[in-house]
Order: sequence, then structure tokens, then C-alpha cells
Amino acid sequence: MELKLYVDRLSQPSRAVLIFCKANEIEFEEVSIKLGKLQHRSPEYAEINPMKQVPAIVHGDFKLSESHAILIYLASAFPGVADHWYPADVHKRAKIHSVLDWHHSNLRRGSLGYHFNTGIALAFGLPLDPKAAAEGEKLLSASLATIESLWLEGDGPFLLGNSQPSIADIALVCEIMQLEVADEKDRDRILAGHKRVLKWIEDTKNATAPYFDEFHSLMPFAKEKLKELKAQASKQ
Amino acid sequence: MELKLYVDRISQPSRAILIFCKANGIEFEEVKIDLAKKQHHFPEFAEVNPMKQVPAIVHGDFKLFESHAILIYLASAFPGVAHHWYPADVQKRAKIHSVLDWHHSNLRRGSVGYIFNTAVALALGLPANPQAAAEGEELMSASLAKLDSFWLEGDAPFLLGNSKPSIADLALVCEIMQLEFADEEDRERILGPHKRILKWIKDTKNATAPYFDEIHSIMVPIREKLKELKVQASEK
Repeated sequence: MELKLYVDRLSQPSRAVLIFCKANEIEFEEVSIKLGKLQHRSPEYAEINPMKQVPAIVHGDFKLSESHAILIYLASAFPGVADHWYPADVHKRAKIHSVLDWHHSNLRRGSLGYHFNTGIALAFGLPLDPKAAAEGEKLLSASLATIESLWLEGDGPFLLGNSQPSIADIALVCEIMQLEVADEKDRDRILAGHKRVLKWIEDTKNATAPYFDEFHSLMPFAKEKLKELKAQASKQ
Repeated sequence: MELKLYVDRISQPSRAILIFCKANGIEFEEVKIDLAKKQHHFPEFAEVNPMKQVPAIVHGDFKLFESHAILIYLASAFPGVAHHWYPADVQKRAKIHSVLDWHHSNLRRGSVGYIFNTAVALALGLPANPQAAAEGEELMSASLAKLDSFWLEGDAPFLLGNSKPSIADLALVCEIMQLEFADEEDRERILGPHKRILKWIKDTKNATAPYFDEIHSIMVPIREKLKELKVQASEK
């Protein structure tokens, strides 16, 4: 049964799904939906995902949107996936759901607010909103602090004290990697002091090598493009 | 093994969990965490949930927060729970995860923004943000439209074309019930046009009768109290 991933590698949750599949040798066809070219708004894509967002998948004739739902589905539907990605144990699983739920309104929301209003808005012809950017950064920072002090508590190197990564690690680390398109000084300021977080990012990269770096290889290019857009915008 | 629910019935996700337990004959002790009295900030509660939010549960020595994670855990851990609440079928389950994920950034986010800034803030002596209220209403209305046109399918009474309710129906309907705190004309404006949603709310109530109405019996008294507090605050 054919699996198609409708993704844009610039999108954090798209990368999480791509890396997960590769790391678990799940075969798929990558269908690029370029957000910068507004391809997510096409009528054809609305047939795939009426929410007009990436990622989305089609597996046979089964369509699914929302990256956490997709990660859980893939972990469950493909028998080769190791248990640590999405453990069968009801308690361990519940904790993974808990951090993935927390992610929506915390790390993701803060990260989106920050990145959109410091640069990404320009790619959609919209103005930057410094107030929204500041609010985003505040929530992003608070979320990183919570990851540092709460979610990474425990014996293992991964979230929830786990000794091996779960889908939650990939989802949240891909979000934080979006900071690679920000200016270095901003990235360093935001990540400063979060030693555990920085180690955890490395551990997650290594656990999914070489795919993690492969799917993040476009970040420097995206950063340069964003710099150009900002420079153009400030000239107007 | 003892189950404790740390809840405040003013909170939408708290109500979803209470109704779910009652409707499934799951025994529990309800521990009220009074949000208006800021009991969620007490150090004892931080021991239960370091995120200082309701709902949270303790089952034996297992602690869990985030309402969707809790609903899934309860549906999985208690063998008496009927299958339709959280089906074992991987694809049906994935669709439930998808709508629960969508909920965070759409219906919930819109509803919280709207209700807080119109009904709650002034009553608690906090500043209301009219712009945030307007944005909340816009997002909520867009979310209701999506429920109408996509998540509710054909003639099926419940979300995702289901003939029986799932945890998603309970979670989302409890959110919409928060509109009981709004003025009648606002509620009519926002919800009135959505006949299908009104029917779905009724179907969900009936499927969980008499507990749905029992748990929601506080809504009108709270609305009146909020109005009173608003008047008092404006007189100061």
C-alpha cells in the first residue's frame, strides 16, 4: 500500500514526519507542497487536506492530517517500527501524549509566533509584528525552560527520562531547529543556558542519523533567503 | 487502585473528563482546584501538576495532565469503557487524534481568547483585551464552520462520521458549552447559524445523559456570578 507524504521541508512538523519514516525505513513518496509558492492553498491540495496545511499523508486511500496523529499512525501501522518510538505500555504512551499535547500551546505556539513575526510573514507578503514576536519569544523561552527542568527530568537522555527516543523527541526537536533560520545572536540568546536541551538535540540527531541532518540541510539556505527578504523589506 | 481527578467544573477540559468517567461507570474522587481562588498556584497542587493547570489525574501513583492524554489513558486503562469512545482500529483512532490535535490551535484557542476577554477577565479584575476578543471570535467562528463542513460528515450524529460518540465529541462539545458564559445575543450570533452543530451538541448530551447536564448545571450560576462581578468591578 502506497504512502505519500505531502510536506514542505521548511515546515517543522513536515521534517519530523520525514525523519521518522527514514529512520524506520518506511517507504514513501515525498510530494513537495511549497508553502512559499502558496501551493498549500491550491484546490488540488484541498482534496488531500481541507485544512490546507502540511504535513498530510495518504496511505492507500486513507488521508490524515496533523503531524502528531500522523506520527502515531505511522508508528502503529508499520510493524517494523521499534516500540520505543510509541510504546505499547499505556502509562508510557500517556506521557508521550501529554508532552505532545503540551507542545501545541507552548513550544509550537511560541516558536510559530516568534518566527512568523521576525521574518516568515515577509515570505507571505505580510508585515512583521514586533509585539507578537516578543510574545512569541517569551512563550518560546518559557517552553524551553519547561523542557529543561521538567520534560528532560529523569535518567535517560530523551524526553520523559526515556533512554531511547520517542515520536515526541523528533516532533519537539524539529520545532527547536527552526531557530537555525534566525540570526545567530537571536538563536544563541534564546538557547542560552539550556544545557540539557542542547545535549538532547544532539542525542536526537545522533539517534536518527544521517536523516536528521539530511532533512535539515536546507536551513542555511532558508536563513539566507529570509535575510534577503528582511533587507528588502527594510529598504521599503 | 484509586483514581483522583483534580478539576474545576468551570474548566471545559475538566468537565469532559468528569462526564467521561461518569458515563463509563469509572469510580473516582473529585478534588476541586478552585481557579477563581487561585488554588492551581498552591505548592501542593504543583506536586500533582507542575504546569499548574486543570485537569490533572492521579491513578495509584501515576500522575498525568493534559485532557486529551487523560481521556485516552482512561479509555485505555479501564476495561469497562465501550469501544466507540476510543476505537482500537488504527485508522479510526488516527482520525480522533487528528481532530483532537486540530482542536488545540483552533476551537480551543479561539474559544479561550473570546470567552476570557469578554466574560471572565473583567470579572476577575483583570484587563480585557478587545482585540484579542475579536481575534478569538474570528478563530472560533472559523472553527465552527470547519466543524460544520468537514469534521461532521453526512447524516452521522458524531464527529468523523461516527454513529457513536468518541472522546473527541466530548472534548469539543464541552469547549463549545463555554459559550454559556457569553451574553445570549453573542451566543446566538456565534452559534445560532450552525444548526448541525446544535444537533451534535444535543446528541452528545443525550449519549452521556444525565451526566452532561449534571456537570454543566453550574454554567448558568457562574454566568450570573461573572456578570455580577463585572458590574462590581466597573463600579470601583
